[in-house]
Amino acid sequence: MTTEILAVLVLACLGYLLLTNLTYVALVMVAAVENTLRRYETASQGYDVLAASRFTIPVSVIVAAYDEETSVVAAVESLLGLEYPEHEVIVVNDGSKDATMSRLREAFALEPYEVFARRVFTTEEVRAIYRSADHPNLVVVDKANGGKADALNAGLNVARFRYVCGVDADTVFEREALLTGMRLVVADPARIIGVTSHLAIARDPGKVMAVPAGNRPIDRRPLIAYQHLDYLRAFFNNRLAWSKLGFMLCSVGAFQIWRRDVLEEVGGYSRAFTCEDIELTFRVHERFLREGRDYEIHCLPDTVGTTEGPDTVRKLVSQRERWQRVIAETVWHYRFMWFNPRYRSVGLVGAPFYLLTEVLAPAFELVAILSLPLAIALGLFSLEVFLLMCAAIAFANAALTACAILLDDLQSRIYRRSDLAWLLLLAPLDFVLYRPFIVWARLKGSWRFLRRDREWYKFERNARAPA
Amino acid sequence: MDELVLRVAVVMLALAVPTWIVLSLAVVLGRTSYERKMRRPPPSGVRGREAARLVRRASRSARTEWGKWRRVAALARLEEAHHPAVPRLIKSVLADPDPRIATAAIRTLGTIGDEWAVDLLVSALHEGSGPRSRIAAELERLAPDPGPKLVPLLRDWNPAVRFWGATLLRPYPELGESSLISLTWDSDPNVRAAAVETLATRNGPAVEAATLACLDDSVWFVRVHAARAAGHVVGAAAAPTLTRLLADERWWVRTAAKDALRGLGTEAVPSLLSVLTHSDSFARNGAAEVLQDVGFVDFLALDNPDSPLLERIFAAGGERLREAAETRVQGVEEREVQAA
Repeated sequence: MTTEILAVLVLACLGYLLLTNLTYVALVMVAAVENTLRRYETASQGYDVLAASRFTIPVSVIVAAYDEETSVVAAVESLLGLEYPEHEVIVVNDGSKDATMSRLREAFALEPYEVFARRVFTTEEVRAIYRSADHPNLVVVDKANGGKADALNAGLNVARFRYVCGVDADTVFEREALLTGMRLVVADPARIIGVTSHLAIARDPGKVMAVPAGNRPIDRRPLIAYQHLDYLRAFFNNRLAWSKLGFMLCSVGAFQIWRRDVLEEVGGYSRAFTCEDIELTFRVHERFLREGRDYEIHCLPDTVGTTEGPDTVRKLVSQRERWQRVIAETVWHYRFMWFNPRYRSVGLVGAPFYLLTEVLAPAFELVAILSLPLAIALGLFSLEVFLLMCAAIAFANAALTACAILLDDLQSRIYRRSDLAWLLLLAPLDFVLYRPFIVWARLKGSWRFLRRDREWYKFERNARAPA
Repeated sequence: MDELVLRVAVVMLALAVPTWIVLSLAVVLGRTSYERKMRRPPPSGVRGREAARLVRRASRSARTEWGKWRRVAALARLEEAHHPAVPRLIKSVLADPDPRIATAAIRTLGTIGDEWAVDLLVSALHEGSGPRSRIAAELERLAPDPGPKLVPLLRDWNPAVRFWGATLLRPYPELGESSLISLTWDSDPNVRAAAVETLATRNGPAVEAATLACLDDSVWFVRVHAARAAGHVVGAAAAPTLTRLLADERWWVRTAAKDALRGLGTEAVPSLLSVLTHSDSFARNGAAEVLQDVGFVDFLALDNPDSPLLERIFAAGGERLREAAETRVQGVEEREVQAA
């Protein structure tokens, strides 16, 4: 009896493995087509014209900052230096307990001013609004802590322009990041309501971004390099394909452009979820599809900036368990969309894909961890076959990773060749050196989801040498 | 079970290992080849068979997205080489129903910038071939050449064309003034808004009258553009009318009025002071905010902190306006002490 149950469990895990890998292969093929088309499109765009034109739609960039004393100044400087005809930068200090506010005050010569802004969204109390004597397009909102969603809503209340771009305070951007994101919107503002784009990972984004594209290093420390690969796979193998197929379900918090009237219509960022980005994307899809409206949300392959990745396993697990929790919360909340033809590709493919590859993954992983050693011990299959299967999984993963590296390099040509070769060599070892931590984080996240835990558990920022 | 898992593992390995190797080589060799190509000087022209191939590719209408982009790339290559077939080919690419493909042709026309290219851009704006905002960006980049060709657009039957005609005349203060004034009474509010926005770069009694009339337009975004224009066209004399808009029913009109009053600087102060006791709290707040932004509050707080006028402004703007002013003044005093 035990052997039969074990056999069923092992077969279920095997079936799950094959199904997810086949899905990924199908998505990679779509992503490769999308990447090529976007490359042609980028080559035909004149960023110089968009950068100088008064017809390029102005954007309000909103940065939510909570305990970001180490990174906030570099992030805001990169945002103020964006090459764009007209944009404002709104930094929302969400009740930081560290020196975030004083760093901003010193770096940008801030002075308090009373601004009578609209209160479209109810937020925690705004203590003061600051303007910069040096940068007329910088506004800093100092408010009581209410979480990232609340901070972004406070920024939306102050925003003056028709498009908003939510970004993270630990991200340093390319000069043309906003032009890259807005180039689609400018061509069709009536239909394109949301855009996101690829971001790279580094331990210290400011340092990496100081090196010009083409010669930029990749952090070779395995933990950071594996996160870099994780992002590449997520954006190039998955999100590009989702974008092409009409179910781009995660506009990432580190760079998300939205038409502001859409955010106002759906009620802004929600505080009811652990994170705000994926839930908002689901909500916008749900609303527009339910009402039968014509719209598009896209993910672009261009690398628009570099964001900070945790440099210790503890911090990484803390971040990834939170991501797992919010995915589970969102997919469960929008369960009425699963396999519902009313929601077209989002309901028929996108939400079930998330359910299969993200929400259910920890369950299968747990079953595999428990049943496989037992199956070997009971002689269901040999240790040699087990090891061969592990190698097969590792190389399947490596092949998908190599595809993501190729797509990225074809699109942006940012990194040094030697670093790309290093990433390619690291790829097969992902299964043993990195994946176990992610499995642990996902199990932890799923457990906390089941316990309805909604805490943020923000990871401590990486220590850096003073600027 | 052992046999099944073994088979799956072998098949997966047989597929994955070669794929990983091939893709890795593609990354490294592709990058090496790209770097070599970048070091070589760009080719100066296209000749013989290559030119014929590119012309063929650019002439052929493509059904697939892939084919369309290859067509665009061929056109770009021919344009770089100043091939004589470009004017003929670009017309057909411009007519592509896919706006992204048409945009590529628009961009190429902007780069060429010759008179025939300007004519084609104006005609594309008229016909609606490609996104009009993109065509407008190219036409504006080519100023002053397109100017006279834009005036006839103001009399077009299509409001979208009239809108872009009015918008694009902004850098040409000597052109189309009377037509622009008459467009401030156009049946389409977008055209009225564009006309009044462009009039902001001109002056004279007729322009002033048209701008002030638009401040009472029934459509809110026309009032927004009129408010912004009034500051430029009418100057300080517009302040009393602009302060009236601080109590407008639309938030964006009030914001535009505040922006315009800020632009007038201290010249707006007398009018703003008269609104401090307005029955509408938005108007009172707005007036106090602008008085703060033009530096009048700080001037009073430094020069005469016990002034009843300052108290009136604080009463209109609220406690936070007072706190912010006091913090700023404290900073100024500290800096003065440090400097001394």
